Amino acid sequence: MSAISELSTVHRVKAKTPEEKRLRAKEAARDNKAGYLFLLPWLIGLALIVAGPLIASLYLSFTNYSLIQAPQWIGLENYARMLDDPRLHQSLKVTFIYVIVGVPLQLIVALAIAMLLNEGMKGLAFYRSVFYLPSMLGASVAIALIWRQMFESDGLVNQVLRLFGIPATTSWIADPKYALWTIILLHIWTFGSPMVIFLAGLRQIPGMYYEAASVDGASHWAQFRKITLPLLSPIIFFNLVLQIINAFQAFTQAFVVSNGTGGPSDSTLFYTLYLYQRGFGQFQMGYAAAMAWLLVVIIAAFTAINFFLSKYWVFYGD
Amino acid sequence: MAINRRQFLIGAGGLAAAASTIGLSACAPGAPSGSSGGGASGGGTNLALAWWGNPTRNKNTEAEIQAFQKANPNITIAGQPGEFGSYWDKLATQTAGGQAPDIIQMDMAYISEYGNRGALLDLAKYGADTSKFVEGTVDSGKINGQLVGVNAGINSAVIVANPKIFEKAKMDMPDDKTWTWDQLSEVAAEVASKAGVPFGVEGNLFGADPMFGAYLRQNGKELFTEKDVGFEPADAQAWFDLMMKFQKAKAIGTPQQISEEGSTGGGKPIDQSAIVLGKAALQYYNSNQLEALNAASGESFKLLRAPSLAGKATERKAWYKASMLWSASAKTKNPEAAVAWINWFANTKEAADIDKAERGIPPNAELQEYITPKLSPAQQEVAKFIADIKPELANTPIAPPPGGGKLADILFRYETDVLFGKTSTAEAAQKFVDEVKSNLQV
Repeated sequence: MSAISELSTVHRVKAKTPEEKRLRAKEAARDNKAGYLFLLPWLIGLALIVAGPLIASLYLSFTNYSLIQAPQWIGLENYARMLDDPRLHQSLKVTFIYVIVGVPLQLIVALAIAMLLNEGMKGLAFYRSVFYLPSMLGASVAIALIWRQMFESDGLVNQVLRLFGIPATTSWIADPKYALWTIILLHIWTFGSPMVIFLAGLRQIPGMYYEAASVDGASHWAQFRKITLPLLSPIIFFNLVLQIINAFQAFTQAFVVSNGTGGPSDSTLFYTLYLYQRGFGQFQMGYAAAMAWLLVVIIAAFTAINFFLSKYWVFYGD
Repeated sequence: MAINRRQFLIGAGGLAAAASTIGLSACAPGAPSGSSGGGASGGGTNLALAWWGNPTRNKNTEAEIQAFQKANPNITIAGQPGEFGSYWDKLATQTAGGQAPDIIQMDMAYISEYGNRGALLDLAKYGADTSKFVEGTVDSGKINGQLVGVNAGINSAVIVANPKIFEKAKMDMPDDKTWTWDQLSEVAAEVASKAGVPFGVEGNLFGADPMFGAYLRQNGKELFTEKDVGFEPADAQAWFDLMMKFQKAKAIGTPQQISEEGSTGGGKPIDQSAIVLGKAALQYYNSNQLEALNAASGESFKLLRAPSLAGKATERKAWYKASMLWSASAKTKNPEAAVAWINWFANTKEAADIDKAERGIPPNAELQEYITPKLSPAQQEVAKFIADIKPELANTPIAPPPGGGKLADILFRYETDVLFGKTSTAEAAQKFVDEVKSNLQV
């Protein structure tokens, strides 16, 4: 596409007479056709796999649909029912805690590790891979299963605590006070992908800034605050937006750690997990579709707020 | 404004690529050509058969299909084995797409979900034969007067006991013909403290719908009536209060321990269950699980009856539960062939020889007698138990109405709410009833 548009630009500069203009328009149309032709595989995919089901789910959100019988139009009833569904409110609470606590903590860890790795140590490639590994595995069923066993009453965590003389018998995953925090911990542990992006961002900051700052006697902390943070802010912003969107959609960890129940006592009832329970467990696909659209609105709102606030802290200057 | 499924699927646009539209509309009711599962090809009849299970059941079912095809050379069956958890997601989506398997292994929790919505075939219409079935084993498959499921094996909710732990505590096994709920609590508390195990009786006792159901029936109530919940908040509160009594007596372990073991649906697999690992003296299970429990633990567990209020087993209002049922899709192209499989499974020695009691004790009285000597020791114990409790049976409870299949999950959730002190028993009982009611789709 870019080659084609460059060609057009060249034409635009040259086109002076009406004759040339007509010729240029014809060529542009042909170029566009070629462009769309090359886009076609993606467009078909978008229409069939994304747009179609998207529209269908919007329609379903206004129906009573049991999966077995044909959907029946019920207008806004699904949305009205959400207002007094205590489990929906619980699932929103759980998900908001997860996003608001988990995402910033994960980004802080990711940035800290990225800065360590940026010091130019030996075997960097190895460490980078090792630290990246958890985010490849974190959303997998196997890790969630291991996590579950680690935090059981006789799990690895308590065994280690006992080595240090602490008589730990708490079942971290079975107590509503702690269960969500074990999943947030799992989320923080999967800091790999924002870390790699931070690392790339750190590499872009010219070393001379730090040299100049050192000469002026700036401390490491001052350098971090006055040089690293502002110059890295577009990257931080990118990671923040992306991770918030991802975290709202967390499903696998919650499903596996609680065996699909959201327990104990609904303390790990993530929004998507509840959506799944409604749709496939209780055959209320209409309600589930309405829930999905509420999630779209929530994520869109968070992203919009992020972009709005970015004006005040993200630094794009040269 | 109601749109039928075919219009909807076409209207959904994205899904309706030309090829799949042809496929889907071919499965719509009244379409002339054959569907994926049921069409005639090569002069014979093809059926799809879906079941959930375990490795033993998968092997058995494949062997049964071979034997059935030998006896019925013009019918070919394609098996679709699955896992219980994902089985229902798959079945729901298959049914939504008009591609339901012809023969469906069904569970009591879901039978009215499908049966009430017209997704299951009336088997009696096509000659399903239950004439030799033991009394009370046919009704579980009836929805709105239609036979939509044929009992594939008899089960009963039991309390499994580990005799070794009772030995360790130097206690006799309790007399399950006379024990009351309060005595269960006393026995459990005593054995737990004397043998030094966390659970006298594992705490999901109070999250298990058959146990709650037994308690309700002894109080003259039921879990469900045809279109509603069959009990009041006061009944649920009594159940939660009983649980707190057990908990204070240290009969069911701590809230954390109970929560860690999990519910019936979201709990640990058999080989990691409390009784198998020697952490519980008593635990709620279904009778057909005894063999798997023995195999996993290497012990010989005993089956005990659920307690009664009156202290008389004959008044405990027991019932035969269908461990699973055979149903057929209402849209099958070959209802006669599907019913032929069901009749073959339910009434022939050939089938019983292969399945033994893996799906539960055969409901067919003649087959029960025929197969019992051929069973493993554990299965024989189950068969004896099922026969022994006959005088204790009352009416068969009806299947949960649509939306009622998740009762056990909800019950266990409120159980943990109460145990962790998040709510009072009265408040939990009220919310529990409200939630079960609001889920019903009747």
